[in-house]
Amino acid sequence: MRAPPDAAPPAGLASLMGELTRMFTADAPLPGDAELAGRCREHVAGNERLTPAEQADIYRRQFWLRHHDALREDYPALAHVLGEDGFDAFSRAYLAAHPPASFSLRDLGRHVASFAAAHEGFPPALAELAREVARYEHALVDLFDGASPPPLDPAKVTGMPEEGWSTARIVLHPLLALMQLRYPAHVLRSELRQGRSPALPAPRAVRLAVFRSAADLTIRYEELEPPAFALLEALGRGVPLVAACEAVAAGEAAGVPLGARVGAWFQQWTSWGLIADVVRGAGAERG
Amino acid sequence: MSAPRDAADDRAPGARSSIPREALGLGLRPPHHEAIERLRPRLGFFEIIAENYLGASPLPRERLRRIAERYPIVAHGVSLNLLGEAPLDRDHLSRLRDLIQELRIPYFTDHLCWTAFEGVTHHDLLPAPHDPELIPYAAGRAFEVQEALGVPFGIENLSSYVAWERDTVPEWVFYRRVVEESGCWAMLDINNVVVSSKNHGFDPLEYLDSVPWHRVLQVHLAGHQVLPSGLRHDTHDRPVGDEVWSLYEEAWRRGGPFPTLLEWDAEIPPLSVALSELDKARQVRSS
Repeated sequence: MRAPPDAAPPAGLASLMGELTRMFTADAPLPGDAELAGRCREHVAGNERLTPAEQADIYRRQFWLRHHDALREDYPALAHVLGEDGFDAFSRAYLAAHPPASFSLRDLGRHVASFAAAHEGFPPALAELAREVARYEHALVDLFDGASPPPLDPAKVTGMPEEGWSTARIVLHPLLALMQLRYPAHVLRSELRQGRSPALPAPRAVRLAVFRSAADLTIRYEELEPPAFALLEALGRGVPLVAACEAVAAGEAAGVPLGARVGAWFQQWTSWGLIADVVRGAGAERG
Repeated sequence: MSAPRDAADDRAPGARSSIPREALGLGLRPPHHEAIERLRPRLGFFEIIAENYLGASPLPRERLRRIAERYPIVAHGVSLNLLGEAPLDRDHLSRLRDLIQELRIPYFTDHLCWTAFEGVTHHDLLPAPHDPELIPYAAGRAFEVQEALGVPFGIENLSSYVAWERDTVPEWVFYRRVVEESGCWAMLDINNVVVSSKNHGFDPLEYLDSVPWHRVLQVHLAGHQVLPSGLRHDTHDRPVGDEVWSLYEEAWRRGGPFPTLLEWDAEIPPLSVALSELDKARQVRSS
């Protein structure tokens, strides 16, 4: 016999699952918690080898281990900065604030960067580094999981009339993160991925373009010099090309020619796949 | 998909799929992708964890498409929440159906378990009481899954570490009745039978006595740990144990042929080692 679609669950099932969820997500071992161990005895039979609380505790331990490991896989540099105990404390605090809610473990850390930014449990000497590393590693997860836009149509570039460039807007790839960090988190993460055990880095201001390569879909980063970063940021805000270049040039030291460098930057950015589209400005449309 | 027919009409579900009944398959895991594309091993099919291919990121699907050009792919799920209290997730089923259609996946399997409650996802395969009241509910939901996906749906038996006060029928009776009353199929995990039989003290041959062999879509093999306490832990991190091979031999004698798949999910060895392990199935069948 089959129940019809959307049939209500049998009586008592939801309350049982609610109780079990409370037990399986408890922070401390169930056998040591008199109240929860008592609740276990109501539902779990146990056997000669394990009490009801000990049986249920297997699932509780797995809950924490699985999610701790998933976070460590996505945030290895943060784990390195905090050490085993520190990362364990962080992940418990995080999971208590943001219990897993998606079928995909890839979504588990979706709040890690914002949680780390406000988390007061970091050792003071590591707090700033930890937050910057969390922010960087969070960007990597986002970029890996994002959908790709259609590739840039070369005709949009070759077909642009000369005068059109003065008002054209450059649309950057949606899977590009422009990041200013106070620590070289990217270097730390890269060294860990190479199997090293690097010392914690000293503060160093860096400007990064982090993106997913269109060629092989791997995540890459490039350190940018300040005017290149400023130009990309302006373009990302929708400032037309010429106006963005002028604004960046105005901020540069006198005597430093920007024109030739802009050409080289655009060649690089195009080869990295950072330009998703070129949109004619209103003036060009009228022309 | 048409309404399910009597079990006797579906003696050979393999005839409706591209997976030969004698085929040997391997769980497709990322550490093996490169070797598979380079070596192109002789193998009947690969099984994917479907959830790993439902995200927006194109990278996993791109790799999978290349492998699917050369091998049949079947899909295994871990998050249907078949015994959960919440309505089945229609969006999730729709994404699964798209994946199945794109890759011409002949059947889909998931577990007779619950995985989430009121917004908290455990990322675990949690057992529910073997209570006859649950059978129509589980059967109705399994039927709904099969209808939504448009391909045969195989229900997998669990390994478990708890026995419930509400268990009123043996697991094998509960499992068989859900399979038969749903009009779906059995995805029989031999390793899970061994693990649960040792953890709960039943005879695994009694389990096999109850298996509806004419509805077995596929069989899983895997390795598990024996903890110092004697508890069997379903880890999929090592070669298949002797007890599992013995039970597989008996299952083959009673219900073979059926497609057989090796799962190796942690401490994943080189591809050649996994393939050698799988090859033992051939020897066991012919012994």
